[in-house]
Amino acid sequence: MCDTCGCGSDSTTFRKHGEDHHHGDGHSHSHDHHDHGHSHDHKHTQDRTIAIEQDILGENNLLAQRNRGYFEAKNVFAINLVSSPGSGKTTLLEKTLATLKEEIPSAVIEGDQQTMNDADRIAKTGVPVLQINTGNGCHLDAEMIHTAYGQLKLQDNSALFIENVGNLVCPALFDLGEDKRVVVISVTEGEDKPLKYPTMFDAADICIINKIDLLPYVQFDVEKCKEYALQVNHNLEFFEVSATTGEGMDAWYGWLKEMSKK
Amino acid sequence: MHEMSIAMNIISIACKEAEKDGASSISNIELDVGKLSGVMIDSLNFCYESVCKDTLAENSTLSINEVPAKASCKKCNHTFEIDSFMALCPQCESYEIDILQGRELKLRAVSVN
Repeated sequence: MCDTCGCGSDSTTFRKHGEDHHHGDGHSHSHDHHDHGHSHDHKHTQDRTIAIEQDILGENNLLAQRNRGYFEAKNVFAINLVSSPGSGKTTLLEKTLATLKEEIPSAVIEGDQQTMNDADRIAKTGVPVLQINTGNGCHLDAEMIHTAYGQLKLQDNSALFIENVGNLVCPALFDLGEDKRVVVISVTEGEDKPLKYPTMFDAADICIINKIDLLPYVQFDVEKCKEYALQVNHNLEFFEVSATTGEGMDAWYGWLKEMSKK
Repeated sequence: MHEMSIAMNIISIACKEAEKDGASSISNIELDVGKLSGVMIDSLNFCYESVCKDTLAENSTLSINEVPAKASCKKCNHTFEIDSFMALCPQCESYEIDILQGRELKLRAVSVN
């Protein structure tokens, strides 16, 4: 735990399925621990202003670009899956991997505050998976992804699925170096989610509307939801699926196959 | 609460620059925060206070310049101010707009002594 600010690299852990708990290797703080023990010959007593003009998330953006370069060099198609908790991201991944793993070599990075539950589920598909537990953290960042893929040893010409922490707010601001960001919404949520959480929908490339098998039982207007999402981001593409029944999944698989060929 | 990470990044950048300059303390940090940046200013102020403790920026103030959001319409090229992502072009009522300004999250300057 860092005494300066209360954050802790101690609290973020990286674990492969079946591995004991250990702390992240090489995951560094994004801030410095300042040691003010040095002295200066020149003493300034007057207030002065230093112009900085730097992006506050510049360090994360730089690391994300480094990840992007690595993925490009290895021809890894990286996807960042974001949604609120319970929209069905893990089930969507399980089904996708079970169907495509022979055709597209894949790896998965799972992000949750706690537990190995999602990594354990993904491991059953036989695809390599690494669980990041962020402790109190509400999002994955580019440095965590860098550490995670280092441990996963990605294959050339493969796909990397990153399941972000279930949260429709914070992950929107943190570029991980992915090729495409996919926001998942399920029909058990409100169709106005895109209006309530516009930053996330603005930052996404693809919107998956999941659990469409439940449409007869819930009041969810798919067209309205799409209309709201397009009001926020007119470039969004949609897939309407049920990961549970398989309905609509072929279009999603087709898109993945096409994208991972590029 | 991503504002905590953002406050930590602000302190990190500001302290690095202040140390480079040989400053003994930071009195003020000036930011540009876009209206559509996804950052809550109240929450950022709250996080900032706890993060600057025991650093060069302890007891410093945060000056936040809120940058208004602007967009241009893809259909009629009209440029206008917006207050959310769901804005309509006031001229042709199209939703197809490109956001030109308002996503800023920038550290402008640090006042030191």
